[in-house]
Amino acid sequence: MNPVLALAALVVVGAAIVAVSAREARTVVLALAVVLLVSPVIADPIAAPVGLAARLVGAILAGYLLWIAARDDASMKLAHAPTGGSRIGWPAEFLGAAAASVVGMSAHGLGAPAGGPVIASAAGFAVAALAVLPVLTGRDVLRVAIGCLLLLDAGLLVRTALGGTPGPLEQLLVALLLVTVAACAAALGRAARLDPPGGFDYATEAPIRVRRGPDAHPLPESERDHPGGVAGARGLDERVRPRDPSPPRP
Amino acid sequence: MSLLPFLLVTGIGAALALLSRGMERVATAIGVIALLLAVVTAALIDPGDVLRIDDAGLATTAFLRLFLLLGAICGVLLAVIGAAAGSRRDASAVTLALLATSGLALALPDARLAVLAATAGGVVGSLLTITPSGGRMGATIGMRALRAAAVAGTMAIAATAWIGRDLSELAAQPVVFGLAYLAMALAVALRFGAIPMHAWAARLTDSVPEATLPLVTAWAPAAFAVVALAWADQSIAPLLVDVDPMRYVVLAIGAASILLASLAASIHDDIEHVVGYSIIGDAGVIILAVAVLDPAAWEPARTFILAFVVARSAFAAWAAATRATFSTGRVGDLRGWMLRSPALGVAFVAVVVASIGLPGLAVFEARAEIVSLAVDGPLAAILLLGTFSPLVYYGRLAVVGLARPEAGRGGIVAGTRVALTPLDLTSARRWLSTTWDANRAFTATILALVLALVAVGTAMGGFGGPAAAAGLPPRLEGITESFAPIDPNATPEPVPTDEPAASEPAGETPADAPSLQPVPTS
Repeated sequence: MNPVLALAALVVVGAAIVAVSAREARTVVLALAVVLLVSPVIADPIAAPVGLAARLVGAILAGYLLWIAARDDASMKLAHAPTGGSRIGWPAEFLGAAAASVVGMSAHGLGAPAGGPVIASAAGFAVAALAVLPVLTGRDVLRVAIGCLLLLDAGLLVRTALGGTPGPLEQLLVALLLVTVAACAAALGRAARLDPPGGFDYATEAPIRVRRGPDAHPLPESERDHPGGVAGARGLDERVRPRDPSPPRP
Repeated sequence: MSLLPFLLVTGIGAALALLSRGMERVATAIGVIALLLAVVTAALIDPGDVLRIDDAGLATTAFLRLFLLLGAICGVLLAVIGAAAGSRRDASAVTLALLATSGLALALPDARLAVLAATAGGVVGSLLTITPSGGRMGATIGMRALRAAAVAGTMAIAATAWIGRDLSELAAQPVVFGLAYLAMALAVALRFGAIPMHAWAARLTDSVPEATLPLVTAWAPAAFAVVALAWADQSIAPLLVDVDPMRYVVLAIGAASILLASLAASIHDDIEHVVGYSIIGDAGVIILAVAVLDPAAWEPARTFILAFVVARSAFAAWAAATRATFSTGRVGDLRGWMLRSPALGVAFVAVVVASIGLPGLAVFEARAEIVSLAVDGPLAAILLLGTFSPLVYYGRLAVVGLARPEAGRGGIVAGTRVALTPLDLTSARRWLSTTWDANRAFTATILALVLALVAVGTAMGGFGGPAAAAGLPPRLEGITESFAPIDPNATPEPVPTDEPAASEPAGETPADAPSLQPVPTS
């Protein structure tokens, strides 16, 4: 076993444990960035420089986008916002990841000779096990986003273990995917934080479904005051603001 | 490479539209201009182009060209309808991003790469839920949509990685092939929000305007489904492995989606929910196609997908125009809508024809063929009848539309006629704004009618749809007979070895052993 790959796998799994266990949003984002940065290194042979550069730039960009959503910003009235963190504690997460890595190591190749290193399989299974709980039980935007990114990263590690080192175009597409997920999650997280009372928490489910009107090009007031209209008939939320009411930029 | 201008226009257009989202009119203008350019660049795509990048690359096909062309046309029309009837400020950017990722996904011959692009397209749709007010509820719903796309993407990445390698020394049970296939099929179902995985799609229907709904629940998953179909036909179908238990699961999901989504659409009282569940119901037919695992389903499945995305876009456009015209989306409040807005009535009839089809139309034949290939016997008849269940909710809407309007609301509504305002050259901008506002419902109605007619043309097999659908998936090399199933009774080709291959039991390639078992050597 290549000791460098083993070390990289340990870093990835350790950072993933921090990412799913910590409650401080910035710590979580930093740990995720480490996972995304080190994951492409777990390949034998190591990826071509162009592909590796794409992954590294993508990881940094993904981490930075989430950082923007997670950081405190007094000028935007974005107060400190923690995330859910692990409900079972980091020791339990660690043990679950260790067990999953053993499974991944023993199931390497899934019945056929694999094209990648066994350590990638172990790391992929461990990260996947860590991602399951945030994805399934997460109740705030950042935690679910972290879970989704970890899950995708786990899938990519398993893909490396099965099929060998991805080519440059695939690395570029992976970077595009991770940045897209991080950008959308950051936008959603920021939207949640800007809504009182702040924080990344999910909205409480309303007792009835609430229709939310268009925010762009709404119909004029005179046309929306129809007596049979939705707002009049069901008391639904048809509030539309003609201008973007987002807070002023600093 | 004729695809590159399209990718550049859609990619850069999406980025510019997102960057200017604070100025919604500017963002819409950028989006519409980029979408118009996308129509032009999609039309200029030359099928058969190949761009090699290392050992991978992009290749164009006639299906790719038609899919993107129809997508760009629908995108333009839905963007303008959204501008007239109410939309999201990110709608144009999301449409452009979806087109860009769909173009990549359909042009990548390697399924391992294509699913990455298709997953990115699904994730982008979550941006449609973001609004300045009520951001938390929008973020919650958007995050669920993003989660569905990410989970489906991970399943597809794992499935394609497992099959997409050298399996000549396979030692696993054939059931593993079935699991890989099941993972991909479930990923398709999850992306469409098929029943019982429809919770995220149902909430999304509450959250986004009608004109934007098909982008997330029809167009993006359709590109993903095309990739999955190509992968299944190339990787699973030729193996002749017994994956029936997994197929039954996929068939059950498809059948449940067809029948239960129609039921849900029939009992819901809001037209946006009718549109949402109608998309899920039609997606059930695509899931049936994924369950067929027979090369014979390739052409009808892709023909149906083309008709499905355009017809459901037209239905969503009709719903948006109806809401703009009558200022309500409640079915109960729409009594007499067809009498009061004949143009909307014509568009509605066109949508019904495009989505249900008539015997002889391409969409009708494609749906019937998919069902007959998926199941046999009386079940096929029942399921085929089930595919006509949308007639129930269409009938309900028609009955409401032909009912006597409520007292004091008779006559043709103003939104169905052009409203002319006095030309004021001293204040042209104000005049334009006033004229636009006075004709918003009319604009939405006319464009919905145009889109419905495009849908009818697609359903009839126009624009070269069936021919494009029958073509092979993208290839970097020359055309190969990739879909020919492996004959289990065929004599294995002799392999040059030092020892004679006579020790191999001849004719013992049973159906229960995967045909890609190692080439016989002693």
